[in-house]
Amino acid sequence: MSVEAAVDIGPLIVDLSVGRGPLFADFPFESQYVTSIIRVSLYVSGIAVFLSTLVSLPIALVVGFTDFIGKRLVTAVINTGMGFPSVVVGLVVLFTVSNQGPLGHLNLVFTKEAMIISQVILATPPITGISLAAVSSVDESVRDAAYAMGGTRLDVALVVVKEARYGLATAVLAGFGRAISEVGSVLIVGGNIAGANGISKTRTLTTAIRQEARQGRYDTAMVLGAVLLVLVLVVNALVMRLGDGGTVR
Amino acid sequence: MSLRAAGIEHGYDGTPVLQGVSLNIDAGEVVGIVGPSGVGKTTLLRILALFERQDEGTVTYDGTDVWTATESERLALRRRIGMVFQDASLFDASVSRNVAYGLRVRRSWRERLRSSVRGAVRKNGTPDAVREALDVVGLSDKTDQHAPSLSGGEAQRVSFARALAYDPDVLLLDEPTSDLDPRNTSVLEDAVLAASDRNIGVAVATHDMHQARRIADRVAVLLDGRIIEVGPTEQVFENPDDIRTAKFVDGELVY
Repeated sequence: MSVEAAVDIGPLIVDLSVGRGPLFADFPFESQYVTSIIRVSLYVSGIAVFLSTLVSLPIALVVGFTDFIGKRLVTAVINTGMGFPSVVVGLVVLFTVSNQGPLGHLNLVFTKEAMIISQVILATPPITGISLAAVSSVDESVRDAAYAMGGTRLDVALVVVKEARYGLATAVLAGFGRAISEVGSVLIVGGNIAGANGISKTRTLTTAIRQEARQGRYDTAMVLGAVLLVLVLVVNALVMRLGDGGTVR
Repeated sequence: MSLRAAGIEHGYDGTPVLQGVSLNIDAGEVVGIVGPSGVGKTTLLRILALFERQDEGTVTYDGTDVWTATESERLALRRRIGMVFQDASLFDASVSRNVAYGLRVRRSWRERLRSSVRGAVRKNGTPDAVREALDVVGLSDKTDQHAPSLSGGEAQRVSFARALAYDPDVLLLDEPTSDLDPRNTSVLEDAVLAASDRNIGVAVATHDMHQARRIADRVAVLLDGRIIEVGPTEQVFENPDDIRTAKFVDGELVY
């Protein structure tokens, strides 16, 4: 981006007067500031959603398929979990990994691992809840048909997963959306740390946006916001495409 | 092959549905299980298909009590039996994948994985058994069609082909044509006769007396959870022992 182009953008040129150099000239793409933030965001949310899915899918299948005492309670707990306030989750995780907490010896304060833990806690209820709804919506007659053709319980479960694939993809997306756009817990447990060289350690797109906005660097904040939006859209499109691919084979 | 139910008692939540039902299905014969709706036809078929364990009585397959057999033996026995339901319940996949399902679950995981990988690289050909089964129901030109896009009649015919493809010894059909038009009904009835020609034992539960008369070798009349009459089709229709059978045959209300 040239300086001339930047000068056209009226009021923001105020930045020039406070000695930060011309607008966009210090836009930190070169220093890998933004790319490192994207990498941290994708790494933390990607792993968290993957782990959440590993936990959620079996729970959804078991709760969806079997009748047991307390099933309604379990469902209620899962649905309540969808509304967990992220700052409270962050607070609890921070305490858990802090020196006074039970996981203090692992030295996880202000690390990506701690951020993953808090995002797993936040993403698991929506993924489980939406998966459960998707699995439950598969007609019992489809399960019967698979069983009648000689399927074992595992075969029947796989048929249900296949039939519910769009719903399950939506569940994973909802979890990913919650994880990557969440700011409260990652700020508390991750600390929004970037090194002196401008490389993010625990700074994510959301915490960076908050930081940039607070310091009045709206341009950078806007670009980061756009990146976040594009990321979510791309992941949505990819997952939906994957679900499509299984339709006819 | 002989699938035999003896003295079956079964109920739900304390309400008895079947009370001392005995019935056998032998190779190559078509047994019509007739009776009005709600008399326990579906329950009897589900017990014969080993979906549910009866409260009392025994189910034997070639003399083996299926519920004292080990789990793997029972799975092997279950895989000799096919069942077709009132609604088609096809999977959200192509017709050929629907029909191939029974064959697929009978293969080892290693073989399944290999075939999936091969299928991802290039299109797998339709297995002969799948093509033959679809041929019996007159749908061999629909192998690649998406199953949910079929008409109700075609879907039910695919559902029958699904059960036929893995070459079972017994086929249990629960009101297979109750939602179908006459043409599709006729195709399915022919398919049932073709199955019995292959020495498959078929049991058809139906409330349609005319259908039973058209395709069954033997008829069992089920009323209020009991078989009130069983015998060769002509005898049951022409010369029934039980007055209620005579009434049902004449289309009178018997319940």
